[in-house]
Amino acid sequence: MTPYWDEEEPEEDAAGTMVRPYTITHGRTAPERDDFSLITVLTTAGEPLDEHGVPLRAGRLQPEHRMILDRCRRPAAVAEVAAGLDLPVSVTKILLADLVGQGLLLARAPLTVARASGGADMGLLAAVRDGLRRL
Amino acid sequence: MTTSQTAPAAVKILVAGGFGVGKTTLVGAVSEVAPLRTEEYLTKASVGVDDLAGIGQKDTTTVALDFGRITVSPELVVYLFGTPGQERFWFMWNDLVNGALGGVVIADTRRLDTSFASIDFFESRDIPFVVAINCFHGHNTRTAEEIRAALDLDPHVPLLIGDVRLRPFGRDVLLALVDHLMSLPAAAG
Ligand SMILES: Nc1nc2c(ncn2[C@@H]2O[C@H](COP(=O)(O)OP(=O)(O)OP(=O)(O)O)[C@@H](O)[C@H]2O)c(=O)[nH]1
Ligand SMILES: [Mg+2]
Repeated sequence: MTPYWDEEEPEEDAAGTMVRPYTITHGRTAPERDDFSLITVLTTAGEPLDEHGVPLRAGRLQPEHRMILDRCRRPAAVAEVAAGLDLPVSVTKILLADLVGQGLLLARAPLTVARASGGADMGLLAAVRDGLRRL
Repeated sequence: MTTSQTAPAAVKILVAGGFGVGKTTLVGAVSEVAPLRTEEYLTKASVGVDDLAGIGQKDTTTVALDFGRITVSPELVVYLFGTPGQERFWFMWNDLVNGALGGVVIADTRRLDTSFASIDFFESRDIPFVVAINCFHGHNTRTAEEIRAALDLDPHVPLLIGDVRLRPFGRDVLLALVDHLMSLPAAAG
């Protein structure tokens, strides 16, 4: 399932720059869940609670995890977090999934606008139009 | 997954077109922040996340894109993604192309052919789009009708001619896209 890199012998080939980012994720190359898109919006949980309502304490977090929690005090999309960390999107998603899984980060899925599912609704389009007119 | 009630929702618009036609310039002209850059690894054979086990092998490519944001309201943010021009692999970045509100194809009249692939792509994926002819390289001597014919553009696809460095032009291009979306049958339902 989840492949692990041999950390003793980092691969160096034409795509060698890819190796380092995945050491940050301890070799994981896919997030636990694939429910993040580029524009899923993330917000750091104000007072994270577990399912029993007990305040959560952040576990052992890596620096990248802490940077994400810091960044997402103001809501930010996956793409923005990835750009801020200077990590590829797929690597960023793995780190985000860790934090969402711990209840430390909240995620909001993008609005459904696909033509196949009827396209964006008129209310949404009108809101976008009004916003653009103010540019 | 735990959802956040306070975060704004997001939609995205793709800005495509040939190499060097002005995609990043347009994103920067309308964005409230300087364009940001991010990248993704794509395996050329298949881009499913499950297949990333093959990472580090030669069938993997890195695709970079620039993006900007427009906060429409406290509840809604529009992200603009400038897709890489010469790079055909962005077509395989499913997360990038799925769920886009629509697209903008930028073209340069001196080399319209470099934007054909983007037009074909949006048409094939049923992503509504508008065409923006960028004139920052000098004066355009062709009429809208000539350009439409050269691009083999459907009559209902909006076409605008201007300078993508100018925010008012970028705004008009995006407004034309939204008007176009509102005119489509599915949106009216
Ligand atoms: N003549 C002219 N050229 C410009 C101007 N601004 C940018 N350019 C050039 O136009 C080219 C394309 O601009 P970009 O906005 O980066 O185009 P792009 O479509 O994002 O390009 P790629 O991402 O490389 O495909 C660049 O090489 C710039 O140097 C300008 O004001 N005048
Ligand atoms: Mg660019």
